[in-house]
Amino acid sequence: MRKAFGILLLAMAATALAQTQVRVGVLLPLSGPASVSGRAALNGIQLAVEEVNAQGRVRLELVVEDDGADPARAIPTFTKLMTVDRVDIVIGGLSSSVGFALSGPVRQHGALFLVIGSASSVVEQAFEGYPLMFHYHPWDYHNVAAALDFFRHLYQAHGARRVAMLYEDGPFGSAGIQVYRQQLEQMGYQARVEPFKTGSGAFTPILTRLRAFQPDILYWIGYDVDALPIATQTRQVGLRPKLIYGAPPSWPLGFERNPLSQDMVGMTAWLSTVTNPESRRFVEAYRRRFGEVTEEYMAPMGYVIARSLALAVERAGGADKNRIAEALAALRMNTPFGPLAFRPSETGRTRYQGFGAEIWFQFQYIQGTRRPVFPRERAAVPLRYPGEYYLR
Amino acid sequence: MELFLQTLLNGLLIGGVYALVATGLALSLGVVGIVNFAHGEFLMLGAFLSYLLFAFRGMDPLLSLGLAFLAAFLVGALAYQGLIRPVLKAPELNQMLLTFGLSIVLQNLALLLFGADTRVVAPPYQAAALSLGPFFLGAVPLGAFLLSLVFLLALQAFLTRTRLGLAVRAVAQNRLAPGLLGIEAERVYLLAFGLAAALAGVAGVMLSVMLYASPTVGFLFTLKSFAIVALAGLGNLKGVVPAALVLALAEALVSTYVPGGGGWVEAVFFLVLFLALVGRAWRAA
Repeated sequence: MRKAFGILLLAMAATALAQTQVRVGVLLPLSGPASVSGRAALNGIQLAVEEVNAQGRVRLELVVEDDGADPARAIPTFTKLMTVDRVDIVIGGLSSSVGFALSGPVRQHGALFLVIGSASSVVEQAFEGYPLMFHYHPWDYHNVAAALDFFRHLYQAHGARRVAMLYEDGPFGSAGIQVYRQQLEQMGYQARVEPFKTGSGAFTPILTRLRAFQPDILYWIGYDVDALPIATQTRQVGLRPKLIYGAPPSWPLGFERNPLSQDMVGMTAWLSTVTNPESRRFVEAYRRRFGEVTEEYMAPMGYVIARSLALAVERAGGADKNRIAEALAALRMNTPFGPLAFRPSETGRTRYQGFGAEIWFQFQYIQGTRRPVFPRERAAVPLRYPGEYYLR
Repeated sequence: MELFLQTLLNGLLIGGVYALVATGLALSLGVVGIVNFAHGEFLMLGAFLSYLLFAFRGMDPLLSLGLAFLAAFLVGALAYQGLIRPVLKAPELNQMLLTFGLSIVLQNLALLLFGADTRVVAPPYQAAALSLGPFFLGAVPLGAFLLSLVFLLALQAFLTRTRLGLAVRAVAQNRLAPGLLGIEAERVYLLAFGLAAALAGVAGVMLSVMLYASPTVGFLFTLKSFAIVALAGLGNLKGVVPAALVLALAEALVSTYVPGGGGWVEAVFFLVLFLALVGRAWRAA
């Protein structure tokens, strides 16, 4: 009995020795306006860490902090992670403002920074040449490229010619709007551009004025709070676009259950109905762990980051951040978004860019679900064009 | 001409809702003498109540109007009794900071309970519109305008035809004299503050159908209500409806006729207010 107990102890000690332990800082918006995405990302990270730790080869220990999507809060919290919690690796930077603000502190502490969001190219410029920044999320020019590809398709295949662009006049909506307009006009579109105040719900006057323009596409760039007022007021003023295309960071909760969402189109990087094996496995694991299915693409994004980190730690054979970075740089893995491999960004400013325009696709709300409709090779159903937005 | 008339209609309809929200604020300001920065959060309460009853009980928002009125009245009365009453004699800055703090607490409480997600209700008539020749009237904005009118007329009748209403007006006019006549100012304050919250709660139900429910939905309307109340003249209940209509029409006209006017919506409110206050000061000088 004593001998067996000794052997068991030895086995446990050997396992512990063989296991590489790494502390990882997680800095996400868990409160405030971006908390929906932040909490989804944290769920994904935690799910991956639980899976990794259960396998026993690598042990990731998370130190989770809330940045509230606020740069003023993110900087001291990041410093605390570096100096008090003594982490070398941080997953974070969901919002571009935080990603940009952290560029200085990250360089100063020489942290291995795994960026989950921060799509703005301003962040890309801020991290130019920094060797320990891995940017998983596509950059804003990837997003624009994917959207323009769809508009080209609408022009060529469906004969769309006039587009009315409504944009919220804050940093999110107005970034590059005139460039966007020029590109659409170069494509052959007639474009009207109108600003609005997000959350005001005051679209009726603008939409009334657009009746004379008769847009084929009503394209709005705003937030989830704008989705329903646009859907209702478009109908109420008698505007009849052939397609309503929205580009909010997230959609209202339960919007798919509202009949007014029918035929509205948007862009995403992932849906729970995506059929690749990794995505199906993730959805099942998420459902088991949290008792629900998520539609937030930040959940699989967080999951991918934590899984890839664990794999890199395993291959590096230790907790040294530089060796982990080398292993990450050489990594090839399948993910719910498709294959992941790091390459220099298209502008050449940053060395390690994970995903690009290829992960974006267009979906359409059809009878209470979001169905991929473009590009054709990823479409689950044909695009409904023209959509039925008029009063029934 | 057609576009101009449609614009006036749009402004008129939204002006009714603005008037309802602002009347509540004018009540708490005129009667209790409190600058209530948390007024919009009572609106948020109504919006969330409407959402919850719709999502979990399938209740039409129209049916939740009465419940929202009562719930917001109760919360308003409790807020008055627990927080406002002790600071009635405190300096105005302290009172403002207290209501500002209450606003932040209520917003964060909603954030804690519901998260930052935007919630929407979906009654079948949500996007219905009436077509009157070349003009379009959204059924929900029209309904909200008519309901606002009903509530404002009921409030007017209460203030002019009931003893309690007369007491409210008496206290609004003079804080000392009604006490000498046996009117309990404390109870009148409680009633006025509760009513103010209740009107905001009712407006919240309407806005849950027109816009959305979220922790921050009330903030914008607090700002607009302050502008309306200031334009009407502090505590002047009769001036609230015309002031709300003037500002709503200005908003609609600028949105329609000024290039990029949609981005000027909030600025218009305060520009009109600024001009009115400067004009008033000029006349007084």
